[in-house]
Amino acid sequence: MTSTRTAQRLNRILAMLPWVIANSGASVAEVCERFGYTERELAADLDLVFVCGLPGYGPGDLMVAYIDDDEVIVELADYFANPVRLTPPEALSLLASGMALISTGQAPEALETAVEKLQRVVLGDDGDALVVDLAEPPFVGELRGSAASGEVVRIVHTAIASGQTTERDVEPWAVFTTMGNWYLRGHCRMAEAERVFRVDRIRDIEATGETFTVIPRSLEPEIGYTPGAEDVRATIVLRDAARWVADYYPVEVVRDGGDGLVVRFSASDPLVVARLLLRLGSAADLVEGEAVAATLEELRSKILASYAPD
Amino acid sequence: MQRVIERILNLLAFLLTVGRPVTAEEIRTTISGYGQATDEAFHRMFERDKDLLRRLGIPLELAPTDGWQVEHGYVVDPETYALPDPGLTDDERAALWLAAEVVRMGGQVAAPDAIFKLGGAPVTGSGEPLAAALSEGSDDLGTAFLAIAERRHVLFGYRDKPRRVAPYGLVHRRGHWYLVGEDDDRTKVFRMDKATDVRAGGHPGVFERPEGFRAADAIPGAPWEAGAEDLTAKILFDPAVAWWARRQIGNRGSTAETPDGSLLATIPVANPEAFIGWLLSFDDAAELLEPTELREQLLALVRGEV
Repeated sequence: MTSTRTAQRLNRILAMLPWVIANSGASVAEVCERFGYTERELAADLDLVFVCGLPGYGPGDLMVAYIDDDEVIVELADYFANPVRLTPPEALSLLASGMALISTGQAPEALETAVEKLQRVVLGDDGDALVVDLAEPPFVGELRGSAASGEVVRIVHTAIASGQTTERDVEPWAVFTTMGNWYLRGHCRMAEAERVFRVDRIRDIEATGETFTVIPRSLEPEIGYTPGAEDVRATIVLRDAARWVADYYPVEVVRDGGDGLVVRFSASDPLVVARLLLRLGSAADLVEGEAVAATLEELRSKILASYAPD
Repeated sequence: MQRVIERILNLLAFLLTVGRPVTAEEIRTTISGYGQATDEAFHRMFERDKDLLRRLGIPLELAPTDGWQVEHGYVVDPETYALPDPGLTDDERAALWLAAEVVRMGGQVAAPDAIFKLGGAPVTGSGEPLAAALSEGSDDLGTAFLAIAERRHVLFGYRDKPRRVAPYGLVHRRGHWYLVGEDDDRTKVFRMDKATDVRAGGHPGVFERPEGFRAADAIPGAPWEAGAEDLTAKILFDPAVAWWARRQIGNRGSTAETPDGSLLATIPVANPEAFIGWLLSFDDAAELLEPTELREQLLALVRGEV
C-alpha cells in the first residue's frame, strides 16, 4: 500500500499542472493559495515534474516546469492538460456536503449553482438521484449568526429527560448537526460551564445585546458524551428486535450471548433508560439498575393513570 | 516518495499518449524508474503503482493487445481520464470548499483532493461556527453512488439475504443514508449502514429510472410514516408539551388547540410500533384517543404484557 501522503502529493501535482497550463502567466502566490502550497513545496513539485516525461527522457521528451521571476511556467506537458475525473466517493462527498449545507438554508448563493453544475457533470439528468436533507429546526440561523459575531443569547430550553424548562444566557460557540439532530454548543452562564443543548428543544431565543470575545476553536460535530460519576448505570439485554439501540445510544457492549446483546447503558437521568425500556417491551430486559427499575415502574403507573377513566 | 511519484508520472505520461494497450513487460523495459528492478521487485512496485493510480480515480484498464486476445496490456483512455469541465467560477469553488469543511462524512475531515481537481480554492471555512456530520461516508456509499450514476445494479447483503437492486437514488435523512431502488419488481428502501458486501454490477446502463421518480419522496420524514398500515390516530397532548408536539408533527397531520391549551392532533400512521414509541416519549403528557386497537396496543406495552 502506498502512503496517503504520496497519493495526496501526486493528486495535487496532477491537479496543479492543468490549471497552470490553462492559466499561463499565473503567479507563484496564486498557485500556492489555490492549491494550498508553500512556495518551497511548489518549487519542489515543479523540480520533480521537470525530470519526468516520455520515453527517450532527453530534452524535448521531458516536461518543462520552473519558476521564472514569480511566474509559474509549465511546457511540453499537454498530456496533463486535463484534471483527473472525480472518484465516486469524491463526487458523492462534494455533492452531499453541498446539498447538506443548502438544506440548512445557511449556504452562500454560489453553492447552489456550484452543486447544480457539478450534478450535471456527475449524474447527468438524474439530478434528484441524490438527496441530502438536514431537516432544520427554528433558530439555527440566528444561533450561527450570534456565534459568529459573539453575541450572548437568552434561550428558553426544555430538557428532554426532566421536561424542565429554564431560561439561560448562553455564549454560543457553534451549532452543529449529527445523527439527525441539531445542537448548540456554548458557555452556559447559568451553569458556568460548557453545555450542549438540542436546538429543537429551544422554544425561544432572544438577543441580549451583550457580547463576548469569540475564540477560534476546533469544534467537532459530536455530542461527546462522557459518563459522569453521578450518572445512572444499567445493564440491558437487547434481543433481535432491539439491537438497533446499540447503534443509536452510547452504550458499551458487554457481550453478544445466546440470549441477546448485553449492553451497559449510562445516562444522566434514569428516565432516559426507562423510556427506552418501556417502548422496547419484551424486546429488551433490564438485568441490573435499581434506579432505572424504579423509574420504569413509576412511569408505567403514571401513564396508566392518565389513561384511566376519570 | 519522490522516486515513486517520478516513476508514476512517467508511466502515466506514456499511457496517456501511446494510444494502445501496453504489456507489463514493455512498461518495465520502457519506463524510467522500473528498469533496475528484479522480477519480484518489479512485480511488487508495479502492483503498488497500479493501486495508487486507481485510488486517484485514473481509469487504468486491461485490454487485449491484439485480435487473438492472447496477450493483455494496460490502457488509460485520455477521455475517460479527464474530468469534464463543470465550468465553476472561483466563488463556486470557494463555496464547495466551505461546504466540504463544514460537513463531515462519517467523522472524516474533508480532504482537499477533490477541490484541487476542480481547480483549487483558497481555504475559507476555518472559524465557521456551523458543522454538520453526515452518517458514515464509506466506500460502500461511493459504490452505490457509482452504480446510480452509471445505471449498474448494486449487489449487497441485507437482513441475511443477498439483494440485486436497480438503484434509483441515495437519500440522507434523519441521520442515515438510504438507498432507494427496485428489488423483486418493487421499489424498496434500504439503510446503507445495514448493507454488507456492497458491490456494483459488471454492466452499465442495465435499467431505466421510472419517469418522474423522486428519491426524496421515497423516504418518509417521520419514523411512523415508514410502514404498510393505513391508520389515523387522534392524540391529545397536554398544554406543557403542546409546542413540542406541534414542532414534531409539522405538516404530517392536523392540529387544533383546545380552550385549555392542549393540542388535539390527527396523524396518519403507517408504522404503529414506531408511532407508539414516539408517543411514549411524552410520558403521561399525551393520550392516544383513537383508534381503539392502537390504544390497546400502547396500553399492553405500558402494562408490560408484550
